[in-house]
Amino acid sequence: MRKVAIIGGGTTKCGKRQATWRELVQEAGKAMFDNVDNISPKDVEALLVGAAQPERFTFQVHVAPMVAEHLGIIPRKVIATTELMCASGQAAIRYAWACVASGIADVAVAFGVEKMYMPDMAEAQTNMACVLDREWDGVNAISAPPFFAMTAQRHMYEFGTTKEQMALVSVKNHHYSTMNPIAQFQKDVTVEKVLQSPMIAPPLNLFDCSGITDGAAGVILVPAEDAKKYTDTPMQIIGSGQASIGNAINNLANITDWVPLRMAIKEALRTAKISLNEVDIAELHDCFTISEIMEYEALGLCEKGKGGKFIENGEPYIGGKIAVNPRGGLLGCGHPLGATALLQSIDILQQFRGEVPKGRHVKGGKIAVTHNLSGPANVHSLMVYARG
Amino acid sequence: MGNIEFEKITRPENIKLPYMLDFYPLEDEKNTKISRFFTNLKKGHLTTTNCGECRKLLWPPRIICPHCLSDKLEWVDLGSEGELYAFTETRLGAPLGFVQDAPFCIGMISIGGLLISARIDNAKYEDLKIGGKVRLKIVELKDGRVFYRFRRTS
Repeated sequence: MRKVAIIGGGTTKCGKRQATWRELVQEAGKAMFDNVDNISPKDVEALLVGAAQPERFTFQVHVAPMVAEHLGIIPRKVIATTELMCASGQAAIRYAWACVASGIADVAVAFGVEKMYMPDMAEAQTNMACVLDREWDGVNAISAPPFFAMTAQRHMYEFGTTKEQMALVSVKNHHYSTMNPIAQFQKDVTVEKVLQSPMIAPPLNLFDCSGITDGAAGVILVPAEDAKKYTDTPMQIIGSGQASIGNAINNLANITDWVPLRMAIKEALRTAKISLNEVDIAELHDCFTISEIMEYEALGLCEKGKGGKFIENGEPYIGGKIAVNPRGGLLGCGHPLGATALLQSIDILQQFRGEVPKGRHVKGGKIAVTHNLSGPANVHSLMVYARG
Repeated sequence: MGNIEFEKITRPENIKLPYMLDFYPLEDEKNTKISRFFTNLKKGHLTTTNCGECRKLLWPPRIICPHCLSDKLEWVDLGSEGELYAFTETRLGAPLGFVQDAPFCIGMISIGGLLISARIDNAKYEDLKIGGKVRLKIVELKDGRVFYRFRRTS
């Protein structure tokens, strides 16, 4: 296997965009190529496009060739769309990495895009209800908020986690997103504001939930030995882990203990040959506030059931035990499904390059993990990146 | 501009909800090999498949056991009494086809050794508690398809 580096990337602004799916692709694609000298679309041999539900949100399938057409890419080795719901973008990164590591391609693009705002928002909500087992769970109207609401309820019941502790995750991530110019939400919130926001599905209020978001982003991958031809500040991919157990509610390993995440982090650290305390930045998948709390636990940052205390003690802030979501997270930046993992990896690249605003810069950060969960948190995907 | 024609056209404003958006499975033997589940349900029985070889209880009902790949599966009755493992109430953001029902309760229910999801009728969020008892209820769509729900009994 060859070592692989990311040499640059670009994004759209995220939010409710007055732009179509294909316009988001063009914006992010141009930003991506503009970010890297000495490379052109014609150099790209492999194109992987993370897109969760383009067929439902924009009534378009066969989207990887659409991206290639719009960006002037003529793939000669590999082209495909990658779908893994909320981790679709990380699937694209993972396959692009595999293409370069294996020697199949010398230049690969991992791209991600989702246009989620629709004229009728009930239609968008409907799309989220075919992610668990549609005929046996979706039929009971279980989309993302009810599933994570029940997860939160059980976590509160079993471990005494509080609504206030969950709200603190929202407060932290919204605070960092005030310093992220591409974030969907750029206003601070308080615990009171979170608790007073409209109830979506108890115990989850609106500000416990990430948004419906339009956005796109992409990164370029090359063999590590070629990276300096393009940039003085590449980012190395040094490890990864991914695990999946079940999909229907009955077949999950455990509702309040994300066993596949325990498996994935073990594999990610093993392949990266590092220990958890060497990680400076963790971009964790905070689709809901409870998710980030359970991720502290499953990653081993704190004891099982103590995730609420972990944030209460300020540990996941910059300057604490580990900087969690200094980008602003999904809660602050929005969650354009297929693009989310790309947005995370580009922010890590900018962290390493010192290109992010001071207030959310993790000074001297050398190693980062990015994480996405998908479905009823039965799939967990992790990448490990290193500066230089 | 004189030669350019402008014409108002129409599109159907109301169409029948497609099956893939009404969420309920197609149930008869022409469409599925587990139509027995639905004929059992019509008689008031919530059933599933049990593996005849490795004896694992399977949910949802299947035609192949994912544990040992046996196709010798047997139908078993799960009973009608369950217990709430977790629950919530959809207040905002209901999918199409369910919007008119909101707010409504949803739960994860322990029944017959399984943990299954279902709608909980006759209850508000405040009426329910973890461990509370629920009883099977059957709902029937106009076209004859049936599905299971639960109602609160304690």
